[in-house]
Amino acid sequence: MKRVVFNNKFLPLLLLAPQLIITAIFFLWPAAQAIRQSFLREDAFGLRTEFVGIDNYTALFRSSEYLNSFSVTLIFTVSVTVVTMVFALLMAIAVDRLIKSEKVYTTLLIWPYAVAPAVAGILWWFIFNPSIGILPYVLRQVGINFNWIFDPTDAMIFVVIASAWSRISYSFLFFLAGLQSVPASLREAAAIDGAGPVKRFFTITLPLLSPTTFFLLVVNLVYAMFETFAVIDATTLGGPAQSTNILVYKVYQDGFVGQNLGSSAAQSVILMGIVIVLTVIQFRFVEKRVAY
Amino acid sequence: MASITLDNVGKVYPGGTRAIGDVNIDIADGEFIVLVGPSGCGKSTLLRMVAGLETITEGQIRIGDRVVNDVEPMDRDIAMVFQNYALYPHMSVRQNLAYGLKNRGTSKADIEKRVAEAAEILQIGPFLDRKPRALSGGQRQRVAMGRAIVREPAAFLFDEPLSNLDAKLRVTMRLEIKELQRRLGTTSIYVTHDQLEAMTLADRLVVLSAGKVEQIGTPLEVYRKPASTFVAGFIGSPAMNLIKASSVPHLPGTAHAGMIGIRPEDLTVSADGPIQMKVAAVEELGAQRLVHGHIGGDAATVTMASDATLSDDLNLTYRPGSLHLFHPETGKRID
Amino acid sequence: MVENRPILNILAHLVLILGVAIVALPVWIALVASTHASNDFLGGVVPMWFGDQAWNNYSRMLGTGISTSGMPPVSWMMFNSLIMALGIAIGKIAISITSAFAIVYFRFPFRMLAFWVIFATLMLPVEVRIVPTFQVVANLGMLNTYPGLIIPLIASATATFLFRQVFLSMPDELTEAARIDGAGPMKFFWDILLPLTRTNIAALFVIMFIYGWNQYLWPLLITTGSDMYTVVAGIKRMSTVADTDPQWNYIMATAVLAMLPPLLVVIFMQRLFVKGLVETEK
Repeated sequence: MKRVVFNNKFLPLLLLAPQLIITAIFFLWPAAQAIRQSFLREDAFGLRTEFVGIDNYTALFRSSEYLNSFSVTLIFTVSVTVVTMVFALLMAIAVDRLIKSEKVYTTLLIWPYAVAPAVAGILWWFIFNPSIGILPYVLRQVGINFNWIFDPTDAMIFVVIASAWSRISYSFLFFLAGLQSVPASLREAAAIDGAGPVKRFFTITLPLLSPTTFFLLVVNLVYAMFETFAVIDATTLGGPAQSTNILVYKVYQDGFVGQNLGSSAAQSVILMGIVIVLTVIQFRFVEKRVAY
Repeated sequence: MASITLDNVGKVYPGGTRAIGDVNIDIADGEFIVLVGPSGCGKSTLLRMVAGLETITEGQIRIGDRVVNDVEPMDRDIAMVFQNYALYPHMSVRQNLAYGLKNRGTSKADIEKRVAEAAEILQIGPFLDRKPRALSGGQRQRVAMGRAIVREPAAFLFDEPLSNLDAKLRVTMRLEIKELQRRLGTTSIYVTHDQLEAMTLADRLVVLSAGKVEQIGTPLEVYRKPASTFVAGFIGSPAMNLIKASSVPHLPGTAHAGMIGIRPEDLTVSADGPIQMKVAAVEELGAQRLVHGHIGGDAATVTMASDATLSDDLNLTYRPGSLHLFHPETGKRID
Repeated sequence: MVENRPILNILAHLVLILGVAIVALPVWIALVASTHASNDFLGGVVPMWFGDQAWNNYSRMLGTGISTSGMPPVSWMMFNSLIMALGIAIGKIAISITSAFAIVYFRFPFRMLAFWVIFATLMLPVEVRIVPTFQVVANLGMLNTYPGLIIPLIASATATFLFRQVFLSMPDELTEAARIDGAGPMKFFWDILLPLTRTNIAALFVIMFIYGWNQYLWPLLITTGSDMYTVVAGIKRMSTVADTDPQWNYIMATAVLAMLPPLLVVIFMQRLFVKGLVETEK
C-alpha cells in the first residue's frame, strides 16, 4: 500500500479502461457465453437452441471418449512434468557445480524456450518420422519398431518428449537460480559434519529447493495441460485412436471441427474449473504476491 | 518569505485514531523552528500536513495570509528536504535541481542562473552532471538542499535530513544548514528526534509528545524551564533527574509538588547534603564522570569532576534555585 | 564447491554435454534438412550432414513459398508474425503499466473490483474459451485483421502484477518530492516512473515478444485468408496442405526461419530474458 496517492477519481478509471474493456470483451464475456452455452443444445442446423440443464455435463461424464481424454491428460501431464523437471534438475545440478563454464552451458540450455511449441512439435515430428526419422531408424537397428502413427503408446511417448523439450529451459533456469541461492556456508557446515556430496544433496540442497520445486510443479502442470495444444495440433491431432487427445484439444475438436457447441462449452467450463483450482493453489501456496 | 500559522490544527485518521491534536504555532517570517520529540510523536505528520502531503482534518494552516488547507503541495510555495533525500535516480544533479523549476514554467535562462547559484552556495558545482548514485551521502544531502534552494520558496521543510549521515558528518552539516538558513533568511520548519540537533539549530523549539505540543520556546527557555516532566526528561543530556517528591520529603518548598527535577550538573557531593544517592555504576568521560545510581526509588545521574572521591553512598546538595517542581497529577511545571 | 573432486567435475561435464546434445538434436537435424533437396528424403534415413541446397531452399521459401499449397512466401508470414509479436508486446506493456499505475497510485471506487477482474484473466487461458472468443471476434468483424490477431491477447494479469510490484517498491518520498516539485500524476508517470521502470519494461518486452511470436492457436483460428498467416501457424498448414508427403526441406527451412527471431532475442538479450522470465513468473 502506498502512503502517497494522487487525488483523482476519473484518471485511474481512464488508465484502467483499456485493460478492463479488453478483459470484459475477450475474457469475461466469452467465459459467460461458455457457461450459458453449456446449458443449451443446438439442433443440427443451428436453427433452434433449447435449455437442457446439466444434460451436456452428464453426457460428458457418461461418454467413454471424454473419460478417456481425462486419463490421457493425466498421463500426459504428469509425464511431461516429470520428464521436464528431472532433466532440468540434472542439468542445473551439473551447471551449478561448474563455476567456470556456467555461462556457456546456461546459454546452450536456455534457447529452446525461444522455439514455439508448434515448431517444436514439427521438429520432433521430423525426428520421429516412421519412414525417414532418425530415431525410428536407430531403434530399428536394435529391433524396436517405433511408429507413433499407429501405436498409441509410441504416440504418447512422442508428444511427451516434444512437449517436455519446449519446457526444459524454463525449469532449468529456475532450478539453477534456486541452487545458487542455497548458501555455501550450509553445504560447508554439512561437509564438516561429515556429509558427502550425495548425502548433502538429499539432506540439504533438495529440502531447501522445495519451494522452487513446488512452484515449477504447478507451473509445469498448467503448461502441460493447456499450452501443449500447439504440440498436439502440429503432430498427432489427438490420435491414433484418441490416445493423445488431451482435454484442451478435445474442446477445440468438438467445438470447431465437430461443431458440437453445447458439449464443447461444457468442457470449457470444466477446464476453467481446473485452471481456477490450479491458479488458487499457485497463489495460495506459492506466492504471496496478490496478498492485498 | 512568509510567516506560517497553525491554528488548532489536528488530524484524525479515517479509522478514528488521532495523530495530531490541537496544535497552535505562530512561526515568524525567517524563523527557524524545530519540531522535536520521540519517534511516533507526530512531528513528521505535522510537517507533512504543512507540506500538503497529509490532509488536515481540523483547524487551519496559513502560509503568509493564505489558508492552505486544501492547496496542493506544489502550490504552497514550500520546498522539502527528505530523510532519504528522494533524489530522482535517473536524473543528473542538474536535472534534479531544475525539475521543479521546469514544471513551474521558469524560463531556461532563469533555471540555469538559479541552478548555478545554488551549486555555488552548496559547493556542488563539480557534480552537476553526475547521477545521484555516484555521490557520497554528504553530497546527496547537499543536492537535496539545493533542490530546495533553487525554488526560492516561502519556507523550507526539513524531515530528519541528517539522520542518514554518520555522526561526524551530521555535526558539520548541522552547522551548514544553520548558516545557510541565516544567510537566506527563509522560514524553516525542521523535524528531528535528536534533542541536541534541535537545541543547536532552533530559534524556537516545539516539543511534541503523542501528537500534542508540550512546550514551545527558545532552546534556553525550554532547557531552563521545561514545561512538563516529559520535556524535562527529553531535553538535555544527560537527562534531568526526576525524583518523586516523597523520596526527598525534607527539601524546602517542595510540599505541593509530585515530582522534583534536578539536572545532573546541578548536584554536587557534600557531606551534609540533604539528598542520599546509592551509586550503581560510573561512566568516565575524561574531563568528568557520570555517576549513576538511585535516589529513593528513581534512577538518577550526577556529573562529577573526574578526580572526586567516590563511595557507594553519596550525600548530595543542589545549586540553589535549580529545582524544578512538577504537579503530581498533570506533570506540568509549578512555578 | 566444498571439496575438489575432479571425477565429479568430469561427470558434470559429461552430463551437460549429453544434455546439450539432446536439446540441440532437433534443431541440428532441421538445420541440416533445410540444406538438402526434396528427393534426398525419399529413401532410408534423414541426412545428418549439410547438403548444398541451402540457398535454393531458403531463397525459394522467403521469395515465393510453396506455390502448390497456396501459401504466401515465408518472408510475408514472418512480417505478419513480427507485427503480431510487436503489437502484443507493446500492447501488453502499455495497458498493463497504466493499469498498475492506476491501482497503485490512486484510491478510487471499485479499485478492488478492477484488481480482481484483471486477476481473473489468469484463470481464463484462451485454450479454454476458444469457441466463444472466436464468436466475439467474428461478430466484431475482426477476423483476418491485425487488431483481431493482437488485441484479444494483450490483456495481462502477469504484466500488471509485475509492474504493480515494481511500483510498490518505489520509495514514497520520490512521489512526494515530485508532487512538491509540481508534477501531477501523468507528469510523475512520464518523468519519474517510466524512466525508473526502463529495465523492467525491456525485460518484459523480450518475454512478450517471444510469447507473441510463438502464438499458435489464436492465429490459426482467426486467420482464414492466407495473406494474414503467421509463420508459426503457417508451418503447420504447409505440412498438412501439401498433397504428397510434406516437402521436408522446405518445411525445415521454414521452421528454422520461424524460430530465428526469438532465438536471436534470447541469445543476444540473455540477461534481459532471464530477468523477464524470473520476474514475470515468480
